[in-house]
Amino acid sequence: MLAAASALLVSAVRAAPAPSARQTIAEAALAEDAAKKRELIGRLLGQGDPAIAPLLEAWRTDALFVLTAPDGTKIPVQLTGEKDAAGTQSALRVDTGAPLADAAGQPRRLAAADLAAVEHTSSLRRAMKAVLDLADLAAPDPAVRTKAILTIGLAQDAEKLPALVARLGVETDPGVKRALRESIAIARLKDADDAVKLTALVELKELTSLASTDFISRALKEAETAEKPVLVKAAKDALRAVEGHRSFVDFFGTLFRGVSLGSILLIAALGLAITFGLMRVINMAHGEMIAVGAYTTYLVQNIFGAGLTIPFFGFSLPIFGLNLTGAAYQWYFVAALPLSFLAAALVGIGLERSVIRFLYRRPLESLLATWGVSLVMQQGLRLMFGANNVQVSSPVYLSGNWTVNDIIFGWNRVFVVGFAILIVFGMWLVLSKTPLGLLIRASMQNRAMASCMGVRTERVNMLTFGLGSGLAGLAGAFLSQIGNVGPSLGQGYIIDSFMVVVVGGVGSIGGTIISAFGIGGIDQVLQQYLPTIAPGLTWVPGIGSFLQNLAQDAAVFGKILVLAGIILFLQWRPAGLFVTRSRNLED
Amino acid sequence: MNNKLVSLLSAGALALGASLGTARAAETVKVGVLHSLSGTMAISETSLRDILLFTFDEINAKGGVLGKKIEPVVVDGASNWPLFAEKAKQLLEQDKVAVTFGCWTSVSRKSVLPVFEKNNGLLFYPVQYEGEEESQNVAYTAEAVNQQATPAVDYYLAEGKKKFYLLGSDYVYPQTTNLVLLEYLLSKGVKLENIGGGFRKDGSGKIISAGKYTPFGHTDYQQIVAEIKQFAASGDACVISTLNGDTNVPFFKEYAASGLTAETCPVVSFSISEDEFRGLPAKQLVGQLGCWTYFQSIDTPANKKFVADFQAWLKKSNVPGLVKEGRVTCSPMVLSYVGVYLWKAAVEKAGSFDVDKVRAAYKSGISFDGPGGKVTTQKNMHVTKNVYIGETKADGQFKIVKSFNNVYGEPWLKGKFK
Amino acid sequence: MSAATVRRVEWIAVAVIAFALIVLVPLLHANGVIGNFWISVFGKWLCYALLAISVDLLWGYTGLLSLGQALFFTLGGYMHGMYLMRMIGDLGQYKKPIPDFLVFLGWERLPAFWEPFSSFPFALTMVFLVPGIISYLFGFLAFRSRIKGVYFSILTQALTYAASIMFFRNNLLLGGNNGFTDFKFILGYKLNEPGTIRGLYIATAVTLLLVFLFCRWLSKTKFGLVQQAIRDGENRVLFSGYATAHFKLFIFVVAALIAAVGGALYTPQVGIINPGEMQADKSLEAVVWVAVGGRGTLLGPIVGAIGINGLKSWATTAYPDLWLIILGGLFILVVLFLPGGIVSIPARLKTLAQKLRAKPEAPAPAKP
Repeated sequence: MLAAASALLVSAVRAAPAPSARQTIAEAALAEDAAKKRELIGRLLGQGDPAIAPLLEAWRTDALFVLTAPDGTKIPVQLTGEKDAAGTQSALRVDTGAPLADAAGQPRRLAAADLAAVEHTSSLRRAMKAVLDLADLAAPDPAVRTKAILTIGLAQDAEKLPALVARLGVETDPGVKRALRESIAIARLKDADDAVKLTALVELKELTSLASTDFISRALKEAETAEKPVLVKAAKDALRAVEGHRSFVDFFGTLFRGVSLGSILLIAALGLAITFGLMRVINMAHGEMIAVGAYTTYLVQNIFGAGLTIPFFGFSLPIFGLNLTGAAYQWYFVAALPLSFLAAALVGIGLERSVIRFLYRRPLESLLATWGVSLVMQQGLRLMFGANNVQVSSPVYLSGNWTVNDIIFGWNRVFVVGFAILIVFGMWLVLSKTPLGLLIRASMQNRAMASCMGVRTERVNMLTFGLGSGLAGLAGAFLSQIGNVGPSLGQGYIIDSFMVVVVGGVGSIGGTIISAFGIGGIDQVLQQYLPTIAPGLTWVPGIGSFLQNLAQDAAVFGKILVLAGIILFLQWRPAGLFVTRSRNLED
Repeated sequence: MNNKLVSLLSAGALALGASLGTARAAETVKVGVLHSLSGTMAISETSLRDILLFTFDEINAKGGVLGKKIEPVVVDGASNWPLFAEKAKQLLEQDKVAVTFGCWTSVSRKSVLPVFEKNNGLLFYPVQYEGEEESQNVAYTAEAVNQQATPAVDYYLAEGKKKFYLLGSDYVYPQTTNLVLLEYLLSKGVKLENIGGGFRKDGSGKIISAGKYTPFGHTDYQQIVAEIKQFAASGDACVISTLNGDTNVPFFKEYAASGLTAETCPVVSFSISEDEFRGLPAKQLVGQLGCWTYFQSIDTPANKKFVADFQAWLKKSNVPGLVKEGRVTCSPMVLSYVGVYLWKAAVEKAGSFDVDKVRAAYKSGISFDGPGGKVTTQKNMHVTKNVYIGETKADGQFKIVKSFNNVYGEPWLKGKFK
Repeated sequence: MSAATVRRVEWIAVAVIAFALIVLVPLLHANGVIGNFWISVFGKWLCYALLAISVDLLWGYTGLLSLGQALFFTLGGYMHGMYLMRMIGDLGQYKKPIPDFLVFLGWERLPAFWEPFSSFPFALTMVFLVPGIISYLFGFLAFRSRIKGVYFSILTQALTYAASIMFFRNNLLLGGNNGFTDFKFILGYKLNEPGTIRGLYIATAVTLLLVFLFCRWLSKTKFGLVQQAIRDGENRVLFSGYATAHFKLFIFVVAALIAAVGGALYTPQVGIINPGEMQADKSLEAVVWVAVGGRGTLLGPIVGAIGINGLKSWATTAYPDLWLIILGGLFILVVLFLPGGIVSIPARLKTLAQKLRAKPEAPAPAKP
């Protein structure tokens, strides 16, 4: 009430016919009702006042405050400039833009901590955005322009249509141009004139705009009720074109997602392909090696940042941080890669020396002992880092995406694919081009013979296991970018990893690669297309509706089908895709 | 035999303890704490044990309940549901506790329910749940679906959202919540084609389940996020997520990577509180919504004091295994806290620890001014409380954007909204 | 001691333990010395012992490490659970004549496949039939293509994993992750009466004894010998003209049935059965019981199951943080240093004692 009164007072005193943009914003800041706030902000639409954008931006970022004067009047202020030692900044009156003066007429400095920030909800921010959008139409960044244009178009806001049309005349960027055409056409679907509607529909058909589906469907319904056959046909054509485009997007999207999932499976399973494939050690703690890599990434991130303290059995281990910021901090991930490899490799070597070397002739026992190790490691991680997941933030160069023709390529995904290729290539180099690789291959093929030839097989075993574990650690570093980092992180990947290696053929790195991409691809195809075939499953007698419902839950059913498929596949090829030839009966 | 030796020894120890402790027993009342302190659920439940121990200390410092000090008996359910039933039996039949505070997952509650009914025990249950249950032996301080999910939908509708995508983990709570939400959305005039995630129908074509579901521990959300992106392409869309725990991380990472934001298509999550937030990528969640009956950021003196007292207690407490740093308070913790005080009030009103008398007092409607505002018990063993909707901030706290006062806890919602 | 004496001592031990479990414990319970709590805990442990025997029959006697026994255990539990759910009648939360979760999913009538489970004999048949058929199909496929060793382990784990995902779904109409609970009656008896609890316990103990005797008999037959020969050198057995796949298939199905019976007895005593019981960890835990108790013996799994679960009951109260480390550590130590498990300790001590006794004689010069 008071706020409204004071706002009224302000406008009354000035006796201006229309309040300035600044005054409107000040009034909105003081309004108590959310709807009133929205309405006031809405009035700013189309006003060309350059003060609007910075003020709304300040509001959105909590830099707008309300100062309550001793007499109870509330004054909205904006705090700007550098903070001094006491945390105060210079204050500007929102309604005039002039510095806030005290009784003596001197500019006052205020601390943000003493004031209440002006609140904003997401609906209010959207209202602000609408205002800013028009301003954003001329923004230098094409992405900002595109966003602003689509916002207007999707709101089918006829009032802003002229602005869009005007912009289309001067716009040069092809992407933005397309967005403009799309938005204009969508907005014109609401037009009263059938001819305009028709051209809009034709335009949308040509653009195959995914965003327009709902709008075209609505237009179709309207045309049908109004019995306008020409429009109905145009709308149907447009819908068909959009749907065609959608299946194109889905198809290539699925392809990319399959490749990306395959890469993740490959990265997670490569370490296992060495420890299990080459050494025949069933390392159930493989998942925990992945977790070690992920936690190393977390540690490195904190060392680059503010540091952290690790509690461990009553002790506190402080780790100091470098307090890096900005670009330097972003490099933490690059530094984390070799360290994750190293950390996991060291843990692996420790495990090999203490447990696994006694079990080379007893594979089932190694499965069991390493499961014990996995339990101990999980609980150890829990005691050190807490049961909660820890936060690993993505560096800027890994967050974001390219959207090409409506198909999304996440940077982290593209990076994982590239990296999978790199690791495979690196491993091939190590195994086939280095002396160590030669020794590894020799020992794995025939340990006794290699030993006779003077190869120190004990050491080779240790290093091979270290290499396998290190690769798992590297996988952990990547998985920290796309999934959660917690004590049971490894459990989510262990079964999948074993499947990949078994299907590929134990001992065959090439088989592992093919099986990883195969399983990843099939999984994504099932997830994408199972729901579409679901209605076709009703014919199965008895369990038709059950199957149909199962197919609807593609993420769940896809997983079950993949597992069932693997079990059946191994009937056909018990030794996997690529069989390592051996004359040994027991192999 | 090993086990018999253990039982004999423990029986002996109990007898000894009983004879020594008779003088002391008059001054204390045993109270059970039944949470998972190990296994997968330890993530969430350990915090509840901590807050309970804090509450007991707070009450004991002020003289206890009916002049008796609270003596907690803490047992570990180890995220193992049959073990929950075993431990519940232990608490009720061996330790003869007056009341038990515990359980997080629905299945753990379902597992101990027959034990409490058989022994006429009393369990205070503090975590949002799917409803459709009203036992005389459980005091549900938890959020019912209408104290979380439906207010969130109201908020979205007021925000002008027209399309709703339902996403959850494949188990009972999300399935139930989404079924209720489906009815609610339809009753609010949202069209079926604007509800995303898919439907499952029975033989007669009746919808028996709505929404998209992923298995526990699912890590690959690429396809689902791509689907949401297409769903949201035409604007005014939002996501209602009942994904649990771990799976939120890959989901939100994928969500952010695909270019979806809180402004284009907000997500309200019912399973992310301040406590879970500690392990989530904060940057990618900014602006997304949460809906609970308490947020740590509630700006009242009562809440500020509560938070400060808890932090002070953490510092000086010597409970083994207690994590002292980076601790927050969240809704399930506060509902545990409130539960203890409601029980205390009921006991004092009844003038007895007898379960039947305490229950009668509890059902008569008692109030307590908690950190999240006033809560009042109801005849149906649930409680009336305030509901808040908050936007997540980069520091892991929520900024409250909307509150609903005194929402009645209604467990039976199926078929309510037509 | 001669072999005959050893055998006699063993039999006496078995008789004493059986007497204690089947007669003494129930007597003590009837007189109130052992409370309802402990007798149902004992009952649960004995069910786990059945599961352990089924693991041991495969692993200890045939060399097949199955990580899927928890699946069969849970399936047995579910089949019996369906009967128990029907016996709730209309005493559920909704007071409707069908299980609560079905009411919630919008069912007004019982789905057809639930219908026959109102009959106990039918449910009992299913306890055997369902796990039996699944184990037969899986075993047939696996052994036909000669999947063995660790591949078999990994595949059984995958099978269990797939099944648990399936059972977590509400739409399977088996209660989703909440599973079955809140049972009231079995065969007309109230489940929470001390008499019923005691009866179930006795039934479990007797079943365990029968299974024990059956396995003991089996291991002494020619079939049992072939089975152990497969463990020690499958190819030699194969070349001797035995169709090892048939032997393995038979024992796989038998083991699945034993696990299923364990599960069926487990459900009413514990009061809940849900898909959490069939996760990969549970199978591995059962393997731990066998390894710690002593594989390749029949007493070992029983000792291991009861011992470790007793330890768990205690540790989850006393040291919840360290329980997994204790379990994992114990496992590593047993695999590395005590492959024979606990039951091999007396023999080991005896050898040790013999060695020690032999030592003083050692300085005496060998007779020429």
